[in-house]
Amino acid sequence: MGDISESDIVTLCGQVGTILLENGAETARVENTVEYVGRTANLPVVCHATMTGIFVSSERSATTRIFKVRVGDFNLQKVDEINTLSRQFSRNEITFEQLKKETKRVETDTPDFSWLVKCFGAGLVSMPPMLLFKATWGDLGLAFFVGVLGYVTSQIVAHHTKTPYIPVAIGSLVISVVAHILGIVGIANDANYIIISALMPLVPGVPMTNSLREIIEKNTISGIVRATDAIMAGISIGSGVIVGQIIIQSIFGG
Amino acid sequence: MMEIVYGFIFGFLSSVGFGIITNNPRRTLIPSGLVGAIAWIVYIIVGWYNHGLIMPNLLGAVVIGVLGNLCAILVRAPVNIFYVPCLVSLVPGAILYDSMKNFALGKDSLAAYGFVKALTVGMSLAVGFIIAEAISNKIYPPLKRYLEKRLASK
Repeated sequence: MGDISESDIVTLCGQVGTILLENGAETARVENTVEYVGRTANLPVVCHATMTGIFVSSERSATTRIFKVRVGDFNLQKVDEINTLSRQFSRNEITFEQLKKETKRVETDTPDFSWLVKCFGAGLVSMPPMLLFKATWGDLGLAFFVGVLGYVTSQIVAHHTKTPYIPVAIGSLVISVVAHILGIVGIANDANYIIISALMPLVPGVPMTNSLREIIEKNTISGIVRATDAIMAGISIGSGVIVGQIIIQSIFGG
Repeated sequence: MMEIVYGFIFGFLSSVGFGIITNNPRRTLIPSGLVGAIAWIVYIIVGWYNHGLIMPNLLGAVVIGVLGNLCAILVRAPVNIFYVPCLVSLVPGAILYDSMKNFALGKDSLAAYGFVKALTVGMSLAVGFIIAEAISNKIYPPLKRYLEKRLASK
């Protein structure tokens, strides 16, 4: 592998790490994978990953690259594909050039579920087993549709704005408005149960748990960044719901 | 009894649903749904005997961790792919939302109470995962070696 330049390897390592981190892998796994790829390419690299940036440095010379990362939604298909690729590479089943090409492909297009299937999934999440015997069956059925509505709204808003936290706020605003209207009209039993269960796809519970896991594993910086992110998302969801409530109250005078 | 049956069905559905949202690889959807459902049943049953917040969540997380590691070996995928969708029914999302709603309403003491509750649940889940990792690091390497030997002999 003498003809591959050092900066090429470092760049590829950084790209691999960026894809992993942006789509929801833990930092320890990112660092391991990147160092593995470097070692297989015959260049020992050191990698330090936080939630906002990845630093990859060659141990032989001063070649270092910094990659900026914006952590977004989970896309575990990409994590899985990169993982498979790096394993194949370390078993020498694919060459460096192939790995480079495949990494580009994973970055730009990976198979995704269609819109309809995703809406159906969001609906399923909106019927959490936690509320099975607290809310009525009718309320859970309504929550399915309200949850789909909220999820679709937040996805559409996310397409149109770059401002963080706005999508979840608008999504929860819509959920709150719809649920309160259903409650006032008399179709739903208790608007609050519908709101809680319909919020399940938006609420940052999994990031919160992941952040605590990172803190326990001593990746303190990433853990705190994730926790702050989760709390901010929680605050925007809470405010969205309250704004919806106020709107409904001022219209219907409830 | 009905509680367990419905809990199994809905735990399965919500884990699969979250798997769809997070774009899990197709081959991991059914296993992660099953693990999520089993974890939810464990949560219910432990909840009958222990009314606190900590034990049910901790044991649920241990079950997810052990079974998730098993699935990761059998299906050949990173463990995290199983953790994320299975967690969704245990996770303190609703509590966190409730606390942040109280915060935005200006009810500070209720907000602080809810936040501590959310942290407790999150911590017990995280500790459960650590325990599960420690267990599976001891149990699974022989299984992995056996599977690899069988693959090699084919």
